[in-house]
Amino acid sequence: MSATIATATTADIHNGPAPQKKRGRPPRDGRRPIRQHWGERIAPYAYVAPFFVIFIVFGLFPLLFTFYVALFDWNPIGEQTFVGLANFERLFQDDRFWNALVNTFGIFLISTVPQLLLALGLAHLLNHAALKMANFFRMALLIPYITSVAATAIVFAQIFDKNFGLINWVLGALGLPAVNFLASQVGSWIVISSMVMWRWFGYNTLLYLAGLQALPREMYEAASVDGASGWQQFIHLTIPSLRPIIIFTVIMSTIGGLQIFTEPLLVSPESGLTCGGGRQCQTLALFLYEQGFGQFKFGYGSAIGVALFVIVVVVAALNFFLSTRTRKAR
Amino acid sequence: MSRRRLAIPAAAAALALALAGCSSGGSGGGSDDPNAEVEFWSFTGINQKDSVDKYLKGNPDAKVKLTEVGSTTETATALTAALAGGKVPDLVMIQNDDLPKFVENAANFVDLRTLGGDDIGDKYLDWAVDAATSKDGAIIGIPTDVGGLGFSYRADLFEAAGLPTDPAEVSKMWSSWDDFIAMGKKYTAATGKPFVDNVETSIFFSTVNQVTEKYYSPDGELVYDTNPQVKDAFEVAVETYEAGISAGIAAWSSGWDPGKANGSFAVTIAPSWLLAGIKNAAPDTSGKWRYASIPGVGGNWGGSVIAIPARAKNPKAAWQYISTMLSPEGQTTHFTDTGTFPAAKSALESSEVRSYTDPFYGDSKIGEVVSDSVLKFKAFYNGPDTSAIGSALLNTLVDMEVGNVKPADAWQKALDNAKAAIGG
Repeated sequence: MSATIATATTADIHNGPAPQKKRGRPPRDGRRPIRQHWGERIAPYAYVAPFFVIFIVFGLFPLLFTFYVALFDWNPIGEQTFVGLANFERLFQDDRFWNALVNTFGIFLISTVPQLLLALGLAHLLNHAALKMANFFRMALLIPYITSVAATAIVFAQIFDKNFGLINWVLGALGLPAVNFLASQVGSWIVISSMVMWRWFGYNTLLYLAGLQALPREMYEAASVDGASGWQQFIHLTIPSLRPIIIFTVIMSTIGGLQIFTEPLLVSPESGLTCGGGRQCQTLALFLYEQGFGQFKFGYGSAIGVALFVIVVVVAALNFFLSTRTRKAR
Repeated sequence: MSRRRLAIPAAAAALALALAGCSSGGSGGGSDDPNAEVEFWSFTGINQKDSVDKYLKGNPDAKVKLTEVGSTTETATALTAALAGGKVPDLVMIQNDDLPKFVENAANFVDLRTLGGDDIGDKYLDWAVDAATSKDGAIIGIPTDVGGLGFSYRADLFEAAGLPTDPAEVSKMWSSWDDFIAMGKKYTAATGKPFVDNVETSIFFSTVNQVTEKYYSPDGELVYDTNPQVKDAFEVAVETYEAGISAGIAAWSSGWDPGKANGSFAVTIAPSWLLAGIKNAAPDTSGKWRYASIPGVGGNWGGSVIAIPARAKNPKAAWQYISTMLSPEGQTTHFTDTGTFPAAKSALESSEVRSYTDPFYGDSKIGEVVSDSVLKFKAFYNGPDTSAIGSALLNTLVDMEVGNVKPADAWQKALDNAKAAIGG
């Protein structure tokens, strides 16, 4: 798609508006310098080729190969037996798969919805003309994003620790019983979601802020003159103008959120690949890794990967459909 | 030597390699020169460079390129990717927990009997060699070290609770697991504090390895659900939990190291390679710890072997390294330098190993405890799903300790989990 656009644009620049372009056939007047024309045609493809070559090698091929491996009982260093759809049959009957699916969506919802709302509100505040030291606050937002996930995981595990954690220390000081967050499903979701939020909400705030800065300030001034309150400005100006960026962040968060892996892996080092003795926070991506690399069941792991792929595509399409529909409805 | 820590980039790279590089042509072109450069993959944190330097000093013409790939798990993952179709090293270290997967696919490795003769295994602990021996008898790895078991305990806390503190007396007092639980009850009654850190690693990992038959029968049939020895081992852990003497602090969880330092528990399992870890976690408790043998008949957790992949470029040179450094004498020297407990029988019986003590552990007879533990340890058959079943049982105990599974239901739940894990 982008290749076609690039071709047209380059051709236009060089030849000026030449309406009678017909691909693949020499022009009738035959006066065109063939050699240069050939180079011109190929150049745009050459410019975009590096991305596509790398994408095909590291993106498309592994993706298609995963579909292939999913049809086998595949030991990476041993035998590979074709089993048809048996891996998928087993997957749909596997309680661990449904558990991982529930965990993935639970963590995704708890981390993404409040995060984006918070980011939106914060961007609105940071865009306020009266804010002093705005650049300082804007830069500070990026610090969690550039902190390594591993470091974040260690710190959060300490904060939420059952015996020596900061939160339980506060609860204890208030005379409340200690909570073992990682022991329960919802508790461990909260721990992981808070890590995800901490890491990503500054990034999303900056995206929103960039969108807001592109808006003419007069719009807000006019709204103020007309007597719109801050809240009304937020609802009627900020949100509608940011719609494309909101759609973008929702889709990106969906893709990232459904593939969450590192945080659940690192949050409970004692049970590593299952994220708790009862798999209370094992996500689909972690389940995939456990089966593939923990147990060397590459076929089954690939089947999980295919299922995850389908889920992400469906949810992202649903997102897109809903957000474009609401736009048309207006 | 944390077994479970993983690095995502390494894993992702391995995945890409494993999936993309499936066209594994035999590299061939092997060299017979014993001094050709040997590419050696080892773990981080075990100071393998020390042995390599020693080897190069004794063999000035030899060349070794040592790569510390990562944790034990990362190294096994990288090896898997390499065997599946990448560039393989000439020498690779494999931790015992990761070993069954590779032994099942022994064709990926050089049968070391072809290089060192049929009796190469004789010098080493039988069970350690068995662990690296395939069904048809190929020996794919030579044991480098073992993880003999003992309990580390806090003498000061024992004294305050009115228990004996001398290791000899303590190990006599807990000569059976029932005695251990009784002692724990006494401790908890006197101090109001938990006795042991957790039941899954400190109890179950010990008891389940003190069996003559584990998850498989000697001829490779799955018996984990019917073997009474496994159930008994599991029930000891459940009983310990029910006695109310476990702190429920899982190994490597965030409260584990602080717990050692501030006395949240008085006893923790310490395979020989974990002894240094306790020192690092709780330096202020130096001299307060002791080390005594566990109830029952010895045990082992961890340890590693060194193997030569079948596609290695310089197997002869790799073998020269193994035969020099992993000889009983080589292992004894390595022990003196680094404190890594040897796997060669005569080295374990040597006075250097047996007389080993450490002031951090109140000069307890660590050398004797560890070497007795592994010399008494018995082999049992491990199959391809041994580690999957083991994790399922262990995780059920973890889940019980945090209150999600009732002790009475734990065994049934563990069997269900194990069944799901092996896909049956």
